[in-house]
Amino acid sequence: MSETLSKQEKSVRRSRWGGETGVAMVVFALLALLPTVFSGYVIYILPQYMLFGLLAMSLGLLWGFGGILSFGQAAFFAVGGYAMGLMMQQALPVNAAYLGIIVAVLAGGGLAAIAGYFLFSAGVRATYFVLITLALSIIAEQIAVSQSQITGGWNGLFVDRMSLTFGPLGEVSLYGDVAFYYFVLPLIVLCYLGFRWLTLSKVGKVLVGIRENEDRVIALGFNVSAYKTLVFALSGGLAGFAGALYASQANFVSPSLAGVLFSTEVVVWVAIGGRASLLGALLGGILVSSLSNYLSAITPEYWQLLLGIIFILVIAFFKSGLSGAVVQLFQFLQRRRG
Amino acid sequence: MNLALSIAVDATLITLVLALAAFGLAIIYGLVGVINMGHGAMLTLGAYFAWATTTAGIPFGLAVLLSALGVCVVGLLFEHLVIRFFYDRPFETLLLTWAFFLIATEVIKIVFGTDFRNVESPLPGAYELAGLKIPAYRSAVAGFTLLLIGASAFVFFRTSIGIKIRALIQNREVASLLGLNIALTYKLVFGFGAFMAGLAGALIAPMLSIDPYIGNVFLVRSFFVVIVGGVGQLLSGTLLGSFFIGGSETLFALFTNQVVAQAAVFFIAIMILRFRPQGLIKGR
Repeated sequence: MSETLSKQEKSVRRSRWGGETGVAMVVFALLALLPTVFSGYVIYILPQYMLFGLLAMSLGLLWGFGGILSFGQAAFFAVGGYAMGLMMQQALPVNAAYLGIIVAVLAGGGLAAIAGYFLFSAGVRATYFVLITLALSIIAEQIAVSQSQITGGWNGLFVDRMSLTFGPLGEVSLYGDVAFYYFVLPLIVLCYLGFRWLTLSKVGKVLVGIRENEDRVIALGFNVSAYKTLVFALSGGLAGFAGALYASQANFVSPSLAGVLFSTEVVVWVAIGGRASLLGALLGGILVSSLSNYLSAITPEYWQLLLGIIFILVIAFFKSGLSGAVVQLFQFLQRRRG
Repeated sequence: MNLALSIAVDATLITLVLALAAFGLAIIYGLVGVINMGHGAMLTLGAYFAWATTTAGIPFGLAVLLSALGVCVVGLLFEHLVIRFFYDRPFETLLLTWAFFLIATEVIKIVFGTDFRNVESPLPGAYELAGLKIPAYRSAVAGFTLLLIGASAFVFFRTSIGIKIRALIQNREVASLLGLNIALTYKLVFGFGAFMAGLAGALIAPMLSIDPYIGNVFLVRSFFVVIVGGVGQLLSGTLLGSFFIGGSETLFALFTNQVVAQAAVFFIAIMILRFRPQGLIKGR
C-alpha cells in the first residue's frame, strides 16, 4: 500500500500522527516525573485517576470517532473490576492477576460485542442506544447488588494488589504505590498509542465517516453495523481492562462502579476534555476526576452544581471540549503570526 | 382465583401509576422530539414541591397543583434559556437535559438536604372490594390517570389547539406557512410536559419516601414505556407500554425478587426494541 502513497500524503499522515502524539508524549513524560516530586497520597491516588482517564478514553473512542454515545461505559469497567476480583480469589497455578486482566478484557469486550451486534444490526437509533446503555448499567448494578454470594452485594468485593511474576525469573510486588504507578503509566501509554494508531488507520477513517454521514458510508458499501460493533467491543474491552487494574489498585469493587451516576460522570469527563481526540478524553478523565476528588472534599454540593453548569456550557458552545478549544487557540495564534 | 384477581389489580394500579409518570416524557418526546433526560429530575422536583407545600399547611389538592405549576415554570425557564436553540439537534438536547438533571439534583440537595422526606397520604388505608384489599390512594391516582389521559385525548383530537399541534408534528414547514407560531407552540408543549412531570411527581410523593434520586427509578422505566409503546402514540402507546413494563414487573416479582424482576423487564424491553424498533404500536 505504501508505494501508492504520494510524498505529500505521507507527510500529511506523518504530521497528523505527530501533532497530538507529540503533545501526548510530553504529558506522559511529565506524568513519569511526578513521583520524583510528590509522594504519599498523590502518588497513591493518581494511578486511579489515570485509569479513570483510560475509561474516558474508551468512551472517547466510541463517541468521538464513531459518533456513538454510551451511558453505560461504567458497566464494562465494573465487569472488568469484578472479573479481576473473582479471579484473584481463586487458587490458580498461574498468576491470578494476569488471568484476571485477560478475563476482564474478554468479558468487557465480549459483552459489548454481543450487545453491539444485537443492537447495531437491528439499526437501533443512536438516541435509543443511549437509553439502552443506560439500562445496561442499571442492570449491571442490580446484578452486582443482588448476587451477593458472588459479588458481596452492597459491601462489595475486596481485591488484593496484584504482583508481577516472570516465571522462574522472580516476582515484583506492586504493593507499593510508586511501583503501581510505574506499572500503570506505561500501560496507559501503550493503550493510547495503540488506539491512536487505530483511529488513524482505515478503520478510524471509516468510523469518522459513519459519524459524519452514515448513509453515505453505507452507500459506499461498508458494513456499517460491523464497524460499529467492532468499535463498541474495543471500547468495552478497554473499559474492562481499566476496571481490572482499578480493582487491584483500589483494593475494592462495589456495585456503584457500574451505576448510572458513575456511568454518566464518564460522559461529563469526555465532554469537558474533548471527544474529538483520545488525548482530550484521557486528560478530561484524569483532570476532572482529580478535581472532583479535591473540590468535593471542600464543597461537595457546589462543585457538582458547577460541574453541571460547565457541562451545559461545553455542550452548548464548545462541542469539542477543552482540547478542541486549545487546538483552536493555537490555530488562531498561528494565523496571527503567519 | 383470588390470587389471579389480586395480581390483576396490582398490575393495573402499577400500569396506571407508571403511565402517569411517563406521560410528561411521552408528550415532550412525541411532540417536539426532545429526549428529556431531565424528566426524572422534574418528577423529583414535583415531589419535593409537594412536600414543601403540604408541610406549609396547604391542602393536598392545591399543593399538587402548585407543585405542577412550579415544575412547569422551571421547565419553561430551561426551555427558554437553553433548549429552544437546539430543537433540531436531538443529540445535543439529550445531553443538555442530562445536564439539567445534574444541576436540578444538586440544587435539590442544597435546598432540601439529602434526608428522606415523607408526604402524608391524603387517603390512607385500603378498602375492600370483592374480598380484595385495594389501597385507597393508589387507586385514586390510577383513576385520576385515566381521567387525565381521557382529557388529553379530547384536547388532542377535538380542539383547535390539538389540531394545530398534530399539524405541527406531521409537517413543521407547512404548519408554519399556515401561520402557526412554531416557537411558541414548542414552548407550550415543553411547558405542558414539565407540568405533567411535576404533577406526576407530586401525586407519587405520598407513595414512597422522597430522596433526591427517586426520579431516576422512573426515568428509564418511563423511557421504555414510551419507546416500547411507540413514539408519538401519546395515549394508546403510553398505556400499552406501561402495561408491558409495569405488568411484567408485577409478574416477575412474584417469582423472584424485585431487583431481578426489574433487570428482567429491562431485558424484555431491549428485546422488543431489537425486533420492533418502532414500538408495539407503529408511530409516524
